[in-house]
Amino acid sequence: MLAVDSVDVFYGEFRALEQVTIRVERQQTVIVVGPNGAGKSTLLRGICGLLKAREGTVHFRDQRIDTLPAHTVAELGIALVPEGGRVFPYLSVEDNLKIGSYIKRARKHAQESFNTIYELFPILAQRRRQMAGSLSGGERQMLAIARSLMSKPDLILLDEPSLGLAPLVVDLVFEFIKKMKEEGYAILLVEQNANKALQVADYAYLLESGKLVFEGNREQFDRNPYIKTAYLGL
Amino acid sequence: MTATKLTLSGLVLAGILLLPLFFSSQYVIHMVTLMLLWSFVATAWALMARFGIVSLGHGVFLGMGAYIPALLFNFYGLSPWIGMLIGIVAAAVLAVILGYPCFRFKVIGDYFALVTLAVAEVGSLVIVALRDQTGGSLGLTINNSTRPFLDFQFSDKRVYYYLATAFLLLGLYIWRRIDKSKVRLALTAIGESELAASSLGVNVINYKLLVTVISAMLTSMGGVLYAQYVTYINPETVSGVGVSLSVCFKAILGGMFDILGPFVGTSIMVLLEEYIRISLGSKYVGLSEVIFGLALLLLIIFLPKGIVGSITALIQKGYQVERGSK
Amino acid sequence: MVEQITMAFINGILLGGVLALLAFGLNLIFGVVKIIHMAYGQFVMLGFYLIYSFHATMGVPLPAAMALGVLSMAILGIFTQLLLIRPLLKAPRLNQLLALASLIIVVENVAMMIWGADYRGIPLALPIIQVGEVFIRSSYLMAFVGAIVVLGLLYVFLNRTYLGLAIRAVAQDLEMAQGMGINPATVYYVTLAAGGALTGIVAAFFVPIYTVHPHFGSSFTIMAFVIVVLGGMGNLLGGFISAFIIGVATSITAVVYSTEVADILALVVFVLVMLIRPQGLLGVRA
Repeated sequence: MLAVDSVDVFYGEFRALEQVTIRVERQQTVIVVGPNGAGKSTLLRGICGLLKAREGTVHFRDQRIDTLPAHTVAELGIALVPEGGRVFPYLSVEDNLKIGSYIKRARKHAQESFNTIYELFPILAQRRRQMAGSLSGGERQMLAIARSLMSKPDLILLDEPSLGLAPLVVDLVFEFIKKMKEEGYAILLVEQNANKALQVADYAYLLESGKLVFEGNREQFDRNPYIKTAYLGL
Repeated sequence: MTATKLTLSGLVLAGILLLPLFFSSQYVIHMVTLMLLWSFVATAWALMARFGIVSLGHGVFLGMGAYIPALLFNFYGLSPWIGMLIGIVAAAVLAVILGYPCFRFKVIGDYFALVTLAVAEVGSLVIVALRDQTGGSLGLTINNSTRPFLDFQFSDKRVYYYLATAFLLLGLYIWRRIDKSKVRLALTAIGESELAASSLGVNVINYKLLVTVISAMLTSMGGVLYAQYVTYINPETVSGVGVSLSVCFKAILGGMFDILGPFVGTSIMVLLEEYIRISLGSKYVGLSEVIFGLALLLLIIFLPKGIVGSITALIQKGYQVERGSK
Repeated sequence: MVEQITMAFINGILLGGVLALLAFGLNLIFGVVKIIHMAYGQFVMLGFYLIYSFHATMGVPLPAAMALGVLSMAILGIFTQLLLIRPLLKAPRLNQLLALASLIIVVENVAMMIWGADYRGIPLALPIIQVGEVFIRSSYLMAFVGAIVVLGLLYVFLNRTYLGLAIRAVAQDLEMAQGMGINPATVYYVTLAAGGALTGIVAAFFVPIYTVHPHFGSSFTIMAFVIVVLGGMGNLLGGFISAFIIGVATSITAVVYSTEVADILALVVFVLVMLIRPQGLLGVRA
């Protein structure tokens, strides 16, 4: 479904991603782990069009998307959940969700989506009229994820969902991600917290300093000695 | 300063100094006087603007220089030479009154520019409001003096010409002095990061105030010279938003980061203004301003470094290419 | 004197409504595009001149002339976005300020060239309403009611429609808005068109109240600025409240002293607010 091929992304003269190649198949959950500054967020931003690749291509369902502007990529069914529980601070929870359904294919189903979301996230239903900026970190993260679901995406890009959240909340978030997986969404998740991320992964990549140094399924990751010590704390 | 630039400037200076000896045309002398005078004002403005302290309200200093000595002379017979000193001091005081709170409370960049814009407008409105003394929007004519030299009035226009040249040279000299002193280092550092500079012990506020006060004083000097030369002033021509922006534009056109930029920019604008005035005349009042406004818009969009700046950049690129290909 | 001040107070409130529209437009543009439209008052002036030309010169009936004026200013807003703002989006702030400031000079002088320096107006004999000791001009009242209606519509638009929501989203976080599928160009053009249309609407309300001349724009640009800064730049609610504060303050000052002093007062307030509390007195976001 998603094919990232030999992509190079630069910030000015600094090469943030080098020859990165990633695949995500339908209904698959793929994770990219790596330390801070490895380029994980850059990868997601490059896929959804907020950054442009200098080399390489990105294809979504056989359509080339790396040349498209970000809003067009969103229309095609790729939703980005940015890091840090980034929501529109001065819009209400409800408005944040509503804007999630801005794209044409989602607008017709907006009411339905609202109902589903409010069922899944009762806290959001309670706080629907509250300013999103006044929510706690965990609530904002939930809102960000819920918002992405409002757009009825085919592929969800999750940027470090555990960042800055208390462990209990992180567990909640990953419970949720498991549910999304069960619903059949294709997910590309980038995370520093390799332990948590591997629990939901069908396939994983390890990114260090902009380069992919390892890839494999869960077992392969679990067994690799370097990864075990460096990332899994074992 | 490169050798070519220095030679060229030397030639231009020689030309300026010798011009009245070869051209007796009052008209030519008048035009060059205006070029020199406004170049001086533009240079004074760029003196602080190049460090990121951009004022869109220098008209207020210009106006103070124009009106204060003129009023003191008309009402009290006080020699405009002394009036000039008073005007300069007044401008300096205003610069401090405005600058200190702004710099202290970190009102910088475009917020600072907006404040100066407002101040210029206030200056203009005050002049109009005090119409009983200043003549309001109808303007003020400076009385004829019985003691010409002492009262900053000269029947021979060439005296103004050389005064304007002297003022411009003064402005350029001060620019150079600043460049060679630690003031420039301090201000460049401040321009890049105020926080970093102040943590290194640089007294940010004082340096900014220093260059602002110098700029204000020089600008007011230009106002005095203009008033005494033209002998008629009104709020439109020497104060307010219009003339403030005009001064900015002249400096930016030529390139406000280069010492000769304001001179080049002003000369071009003065000549163009005159050309348009002659060819289109008063048939279409306002057309020259429209053309300027549009030209400026285009300039800002396409050539943000100004003419001198862009040419310098091109030349430097040329050097690099040459060296690279060797 | 008391009656005069009471009337000044009432007129201040009535005009405050129209000033609120002006502040809204400026805040909307600034909030979305992050550039200050320095020539906003001059656009109002232009709108006025256009309405005048459509009606007095071309004989179009006044209501149609007003509608045409609003439409023309909306189109001008679109051109402003296309030709001026779009190339400047990535430029340093100073350049943006200067470019829009030169727009002031262009618009004022174009007006001078086309319509001359004389005062132009459309004479309308509108009734004066008397309430007790106080006389209220119906033109002021209509302007006030009209402004409130327009503001109400704008409120509904921004809060209940997808496009309005998109505009607010872009104002708060452009990147994230793009991620939601919002095309920034669409939002920019709509915002500038709306901002332009608002100047036309304000001009229409001003037609029965003022006569226009090429420097008419400056007082309104200044006032719009002061209001916007007082309420917090980009803050729609703040602008709304400040409009009435400034409307009343300048109105009363103009009656007690003179209009020049009122303008000077407005500017002094502006400078003081910038120095002491640049986020505006209200500092609250709407």
